[in-house]
Formats: sequence, structure tokens, C-alpha cells
Amino acid sequence: MDFGSLPSDLWLGLSACFTVKWVTILGVQVPILVNIFWCLMGALIGTAIGVLPGVGPVATMALLLPITYFLTPEGALIMLAGIYYGAQYGGSTTAILINVPGEASSVVTALDGYAMAKLGRAGPALAMAALGSFFAGTVATCLIVLAAPPLTKLAQQFAPADYFSLMVLGLVLAIVMASGSLLKAFGMIFLGMLLGLVGTDVNTGNTRFTFGIGDLFDGIGFVIVAMGMFGIAEIISNLANVTRRDLVSSKVSGLWPTREDFKRSFAPIVRGTFLGSLLGVLPGGGAVLASFASYSVEKKLSATPENFGKGMIEGVAGPESANNAAAQTSFIPMLTLGIPSNAVMAMMIGGMMIHGIVPGPQVMEQKPALFWGMIVSMWLGNMMLLVLNLPLIGIWVKMLLVPYRLLAVAIMFFCCVGVYSLNNLHTEIYFMALFGVLGYVFIRLGCEPAPLLLGFLLGPLMEVYMRRAMLLSRGDPLVFLQRPLSLAFLAIAVLLLLFVILPNVRKARETAFQE
Amino acid sequence: MHRRKFLGLAGATLATGLSSKAWAQAQSWPDRTVRLILPYAPGGATDAIGRPWAEKLTQAFGQQFVIENRGGAGGMIGAEAAAKSPPDGYTFFLTPNAPLSVLPTLRKTPYDPIKSFEPVGRVGDVINGFVIHPSVGVKTFKEMIEYAKKNPGKLAYGSSGNGTANHLRLEMLKHKLGVDILHVPYRGGADTLNDVLPGTTHMMNEPVSLPHVKAGKLILLAVNSPIRHPDFPDVPTLTELGVTGADVPIWFSIFAPAGTPKDIIAKFNAKMLEIAKTDDMKTRLRAVNAFVPLQTPEQMAKTLADDIKANADLIKAANIKIE
Repeated sequence: MDFGSLPSDLWLGLSACFTVKWVTILGVQVPILVNIFWCLMGALIGTAIGVLPGVGPVATMALLLPITYFLTPEGALIMLAGIYYGAQYGGSTTAILINVPGEASSVVTALDGYAMAKLGRAGPALAMAALGSFFAGTVATCLIVLAAPPLTKLAQQFAPADYFSLMVLGLVLAIVMASGSLLKAFGMIFLGMLLGLVGTDVNTGNTRFTFGIGDLFDGIGFVIVAMGMFGIAEIISNLANVTRRDLVSSKVSGLWPTREDFKRSFAPIVRGTFLGSLLGVLPGGGAVLASFASYSVEKKLSATPENFGKGMIEGVAGPESANNAAAQTSFIPMLTLGIPSNAVMAMMIGGMMIHGIVPGPQVMEQKPALFWGMIVSMWLGNMMLLVLNLPLIGIWVKMLLVPYRLLAVAIMFFCCVGVYSLNNLHTEIYFMALFGVLGYVFIRLGCEPAPLLLGFLLGPLMEVYMRRAMLLSRGDPLVFLQRPLSLAFLAIAVLLLLFVILPNVRKARETAFQE
Repeated sequence: MHRRKFLGLAGATLATGLSSKAWAQAQSWPDRTVRLILPYAPGGATDAIGRPWAEKLTQAFGQQFVIENRGGAGGMIGAEAAAKSPPDGYTFFLTPNAPLSVLPTLRKTPYDPIKSFEPVGRVGDVINGFVIHPSVGVKTFKEMIEYAKKNPGKLAYGSSGNGTANHLRLEMLKHKLGVDILHVPYRGGADTLNDVLPGTTHMMNEPVSLPHVKAGKLILLAVNSPIRHPDFPDVPTLTELGVTGADVPIWFSIFAPAGTPKDIIAKFNAKMLEIAKTDDMKTRLRAVNAFVPLQTPEQMAKTLADDIKANADLIKAANIKIE
């Protein structure tokens, strides 16, 4: 492999990040590092929504998507990316201080983090979470830099048949990795695929499942489904379960971890980073799964597993590194193949489309400044987050004092404005409300909305690629087995499916998720 | 409105009848924000042409001209919204020809392309042509036709979907020259490009392919336009190649909801012609491969009617159907 162009690519990315724009403020010309500014904004917003329980990165990005139209593509994507990894940092704060995970990926952090806080060691827990995240972020960014160019080269040779088989594999992985019941995951994915079929069929131009409603001719918007299922449904469910939020201490003192803490955390951070980087790349994986996996690994490897849940720093350092590493590496399939591995990446793709960029292997060649600028910004953003989270922790803690009933109204309001501004159609607000109610029903039924969203995204794409492959092969279905890449993807998918159905694996899987 | 101004206007209207009311309207028009409804989401070719126009019109008239993206159903949703807007000179429709001269032949549309709209002015024609992947081994339009005749059904052409203007361009080629080329529908130009660049699909006809022609990765065979593309002066037009009446033009323009006062349309058209002649506007539009033909509303009406008929004939001949 040829990495000769890496230094110049990275330099290009760095200079894209440090783009200077002259802005007149109060009559004075002031130079502003625009992209650094948007990176900071993304990190700030990300931390804020990470700290606040009930507002996730998907809903936030959906909200901000229409606004990004007014930014350059670089600025827009740098900011959106910042929100995602920023949320990984912010989520731990809430988990440690009030035992409520700010983000789904911080659920396990709450176990030992909150226990540490009760022992008066909130400071070291917060610091280790941030330092671990920073280490993981740095490693994962390097991984993206190394993996993206060769993968892009490979992806440029992908034919429709290969894409189809890759998506089959992706959906199978999403089923395997969904937490809880396999059957429910199956059901949610298929429901998502069905919803994705609404609208105009690309091949014939006929409309399907539209009931003659013109607003459905282009299908149901991804943002609408995402905001309904993740935004509105979350709010309803949060309002339904009013939890008392007890701040352990509004003052965090003694931030710096001891030498002993560092020694104990080092190995978990490295392992978490490795696990997270791996799981982040897989479709359906991402930050949540990574943190769970890391926690169970640390518990298994520990000499004193019985102490987990009672304030073990390993149980904070490992998962927090893992979720940030996964958040970063999940950009790899999006950047190289144009395929979203999770809902957040789908939002990033939405952000690209708004700027007329079609995601796929062409992006690296056609928009090198955007591609490398975004990667470099991730590392810069991680550095900013370290600064934002450690010394400024007091400010974030204050945010937790805002009553949720006020927050809920504000979020609902922004969701409505956000959806309306996409197409200026009021019907889309009703659709969003409908999906909100549906999402709440699913939460109550214990069905995860994430597989539905993945099916919604990948299902229609899969259909298009399959029919395109069949058209190009002049109707010969063997094309899926004749191309080596396609054959390999399909074989792995079949093996995986067989593997999960095996009775003892299924049992092991169920107990693993119960932890 | 001020009470005195209103009384004055009312008096004038009573005294001199309707025509002078319209005249008074055109005199003060525009005195508030003007909406330009655009039937696609931001980011496409229509948007790229529309934005510089909105900016120049705002400067020229001293009132905000804002673009409102109403995407959906191949342009039908935006067209319907524009057709049903009040014809008061404050809502216009900025569109490529497809929603008016292709869609109504294929589908039942909630508007009539001729009765629901009044032409205002042209904003640009996009010059583009057939490109092919070098792996096919042909270098000219003639060689491509020979290849297609020798290998029926072997070449694959990617379009932006069934019944879109660039699909019609392929059908026209098949119809006029009797070649058999496979049609593969995509979700838009950039999506098509992803398959044409590695040569999985061989041909396309979209502006997004032109930078790759410059980079030497694709070959431009012929241009669907009365004039050659200034960036590719060596590439002949279809007419020059002896394939006449086969351009299937793609043109962008502004329409008004039917019933909009004629004086306002005349004033709008005059200003548009002025803007189109400036070097600045020419450069801005050339960046998106667009060139403005100067037409009055009357000339546009004829262009539209001819286009509707030509496309309808082609759709019938090629037997393109959408239920």
C-alpha cells in the first residue's frame, strides 16, 4: 500500500481546518478561523446535549441539518461530526454525577462512575473518562487516516452486486448485535425496510404505498422518522418516568487521578480503544455496543470482578474509551463507501446531500479538502473537548439544574421548526408526531428503534442495488455469486446467521446482553 | 397600507377602471419580499442556477427575492404549490422544463402546464452531452453508434430515473438511430456517476460528468445543444453530426401563477434580460454550465408548447409508461 501522499493529505486537511475568513464585527475587520469555530461549536453543542439526558446526537443533528445549508460543506460536516463525539464526552458527566446516563453509550459508565462519585471520587472518574476518551479518539483518528485511502480504492471497484451483498451483511450484523430479543430486532428491521419502500420506485417511476398523497411520493423523510423515533418518543418516555435527579455534589473537587488510578486504567483504556475501534466500523455497532462490550471484558479480566459496580475505575475508563473510539471509527464506512453504519452516520450523509455531495468513494478524490479537513478536525475537536470537559466541568453541572419540563418544550419546538424548514411542508410535522407516538409504543414494548432506522435506510438502497445488478447482468441472478467480493460478503452473512441460531450461542448472547 | 394611500388608490381605481389599477400595481411592484418556489431540494442544478438569480434580482429590484425549496415527486409538489399561489406578483416558479413539459404527459398532475402558468423569463440552458467510459474503446459519437449496432444491448446508459429528461435523451437516440442500449435508472446524476466512473455503467448525460471529462476519465461524445460547449470546443453538437431535432433540451426559467398582472410580468422580464446581458451574470452561470437565451414571455410560450409536443411524441414513440 502506498502511504506516500499521507503527509500532503494531512497538510491539506490541516489547512482546510485553519481556513481564515475576514468578518466585519462592529466595523472592524477581524480574521476568524471559520472551520475551527464550527468545530468548537460542534464540540460545545455535543457536550451540552451529551450532558442533558433525553437529547441525543441523532435528534440534535436532525435539528441542525437545515441550518447547515448556510455554512460551507466543510464547516457543516465538521460541526456535525463534533456533535457526535462531543456527546460521548458529555454523556459520562451526567452518568457519573447523577447516575442518569446522558447518552445511551454512557449507561455502563453510570454503574461504577456513580459509585465512585458517592465515594467522593467524582473528580478522578470524570478526568479518567475524559483522558481515556481523548486517547481513544487520537488512536481512532489515526486508524481512519490509515484505513480510509486503501478502503476507498477498494470501494471504487464495487459494482452494484457487491453493494447489495455488503448491505445484506450489514443488516445481518445489525440483527446479531441488537440488544435484547433476536425476534424483535428482526421485526424492527423488516418494518424499517417496509417503511423505506414508501414512495416512487426508481426503476419504473411508479409510486408505492402512497395512497395518492403527493407528500409521500418521495418517501418518508429520514429526518422525520429519526426525529420522531429518537426525539419526540424519548421526550414522551422521559416525561412518563419522572426520575428524581440527585446531584452527588454540585462541587467537584480533586479532579486529578492518582498514580494508582492511572496504572489501573491504562490497560482498560487500550483494550477499550481496540474493541471500540473494531465495533464502530461494523453496521449496527457504534458507541453503545462498544461501551457494553468493554465493560463486560473488563469485568471478566479483573482479578476482583465482585468489586465492579462499587466504584472500579476500570469500569469507567474502559467503556468511555470504547464509546469514543467507536464513535470515531464509525466514520470509516460512511467516508469510504457512503454507507451509514448507524443513525448518526445517516445524519452525516444527510448533511452531505444538502450540500450536493453524494457520499461514496468519489468524495475523497473530488473533495479532498473536505475529506481530510473533517478527519483532522476530529483530532482537533477531541483536544478541544479535553479542555472543555476538565476545567469547565462546573458549567456543565449547572446545566443539569434546568428542569426537564422546560427543556422538553424547547426540544419539541425545535424539532417542529427543524422538520418544517426542510421542505416547508406542515404535513411532515404530523408525520413526525405520528412516528413519535409509534416510537413511544416501541419503547414500551422493549423494541429498539435503532434497527428500524437502519432497515429504513439500507432496505431501499439494497433494493435499488439488487435491481440495478440484475439489470446490468441482463437478468442473471448468478452475478451475486460470480463476483468474489459479493460472494465473500454473502458467505459471511450466512455463516453469521447460522451462528446466532445455534442454541448455545443464543443463550450466551442473551446472558451477555442481560449484564 | 396607510389609510390615505388606500383611499387614493381606491379613488384612482374607481375613476379610471381596472387597467390603471394594474398599472399602479406594476409601478410600485415589488414593494415586499418576492418568493421564488423551486421544485427540488437544495443542492441540485436548479438550485445552483436559481441562487445567483435570486441574488441579482434582489439587487436590481431592491426587494428580497427568496428561494423556497419545495422538493418532491419529480417537481410536481413545487409546481402545484406555485400554481395554487395567489397571482399577485409575489410568488413565482423557478423550474427546469421537466415539471411542465415532461411530467404532465406521464402522470396526472394537479396543474396544467399551459393554463396554470404564465411565462416570465429564461434563466439558463444547461449545455451537456453524452459521455462514455474509455474502457468501451470508442472515441467518437460515430464509433459509439457503430459499437452499439454491432453489440446490441451491451452498452448500459445511466439516467436520473424513468421519465426524466436525460432518460428521454437516451430514448431519442435509440429512436432516431435504431440502436439498442440498456437503460439503467439511478437516483440522480451524482449517483449515476458512481457507477459510470468505474465503467460498470458505460454512458450518461449529466453536467456532473463534465469535470471528469476534463480530467480525462470520461469521453464527451456529442453535445445536446444548438451551440458547442465553450469548455470543449472540439466536441460536435448532435445537429452537426447529422442527428437533427434530437437535442431534447433541458432549460430553466421563471413562470408566474396564471392571472398575474401582465404589466408585472413585462417589468420582470425586462429586468431579467438586463441582468442576463451582464458579464458578471454570464460568468456566474457559466460556472454551472448554464447560458441564458434571451426570450420575451411570448417567445417562451411558444418554446414551451413546442417542447411539450416534442416530448409527448417521443414518450409515445418510446412507449414510456408510468402508472
